[in-house]
Amino acid sequence: MAEFAAWLHATAVSQTIQSVGWIVPLVQCIHILMIGIVFVSSLMIALRVLGRMRADEPFELVWLRFAPWMWRALLVMAITGVVLIVGEPGREFGATSFWVKMVLLVVALLVTLRLGRAPASAAARPLAVGLIVLWIGVIFLGRAIAYDVEVWQSLSSHT
Amino acid sequence: MEFAGLVNDIQASAIGEWMRSSLKAMPVVEATHVLAATMVFGTVLIVDLRLLGIPNATRAFTRISDELLRLTWWAFGLAVVTGSLMFAANANTYVINTAFRLKMLALLAAGINMAIFQGATLRGVGGWDVGVAPPRAARLAGLLSILLWVTVIMLARWIGFTKGYNFVVPDDPNIKFDF
Repeated sequence: MAEFAAWLHATAVSQTIQSVGWIVPLVQCIHILMIGIVFVSSLMIALRVLGRMRADEPFELVWLRFAPWMWRALLVMAITGVVLIVGEPGREFGATSFWVKMVLLVVALLVTLRLGRAPASAAARPLAVGLIVLWIGVIFLGRAIAYDVEVWQSLSSHT
Repeated sequence: MEFAGLVNDIQASAIGEWMRSSLKAMPVVEATHVLAATMVFGTVLIVDLRLLGIPNATRAFTRISDELLRLTWWAFGLAVVTGSLMFAANANTYVINTAFRLKMLALLAAGINMAIFQGATLRGVGGWDVGVAPPRAARLAGLLSILLWVTVIMLARWIGFTKGYNFVVPDDPNIKFDF
């Protein structure tokens, strides 16, 4: 993985992202704005499953209102995330927070798909709570990538 | 100057010192600040889009705003607390940072926009609460709110790239982690 990071770091596209000063800050801004849409859309869906938001509307309507925004913002978030990884591969791949964040992200997406298909199942309520916790975890770990040693201490993969 | 003295006192305070010296305080406080900011932006966006008629006007505006603005205020309170802690760590640098100053102005503008909307435009909500397009003043308030909150978040991220540090970071901190 370190070799891949070194190779990626040396590519022309990575060099461009590193050398043009405004790219990383701007892409980070878009990434954070998209997280706001993804997180709150997921929160609306989860709270509806729990009966704490828009309980007067059927789940289907709430899903149709927020899921498309969630998926589209997620796509932009993924694209901007890839740009940030290409720009600083060592920083991302070398951080324990990054890998834990990716795992939580995948689980959050699987939980979202499950909720969309079976919002009334017995598992739906615990899954909805789990979805909120997962996204909070993803956001925390995203910021924690910059502080890998401080957060993970001896578990940090930064050496 | 009295203001500079106050800012200096904030930075010299025990809380400021704790924020700088604790290994975990800054990452936890910053992560909580980001979480709170995304929550403020996401919830405000839903209300603002409703003012612009997106996706439609079938759900009453007052209902959407009542159920979401509670979350917005909780998140905003959390952002103020965590933001104040970050400010205390490095107050002298923040007050002379252009991105920080502009962010405070944008926050103030967002507050004024909201106050005008709540104090004046919202008085006539009975006529456009559900089923019809909100009046021009309400749509303008929604659009301004979106633009101002995007500006706040962008300027906030810019602070991190421009502020630098006005306290000495040791070359070899020789950090030891003992369990």
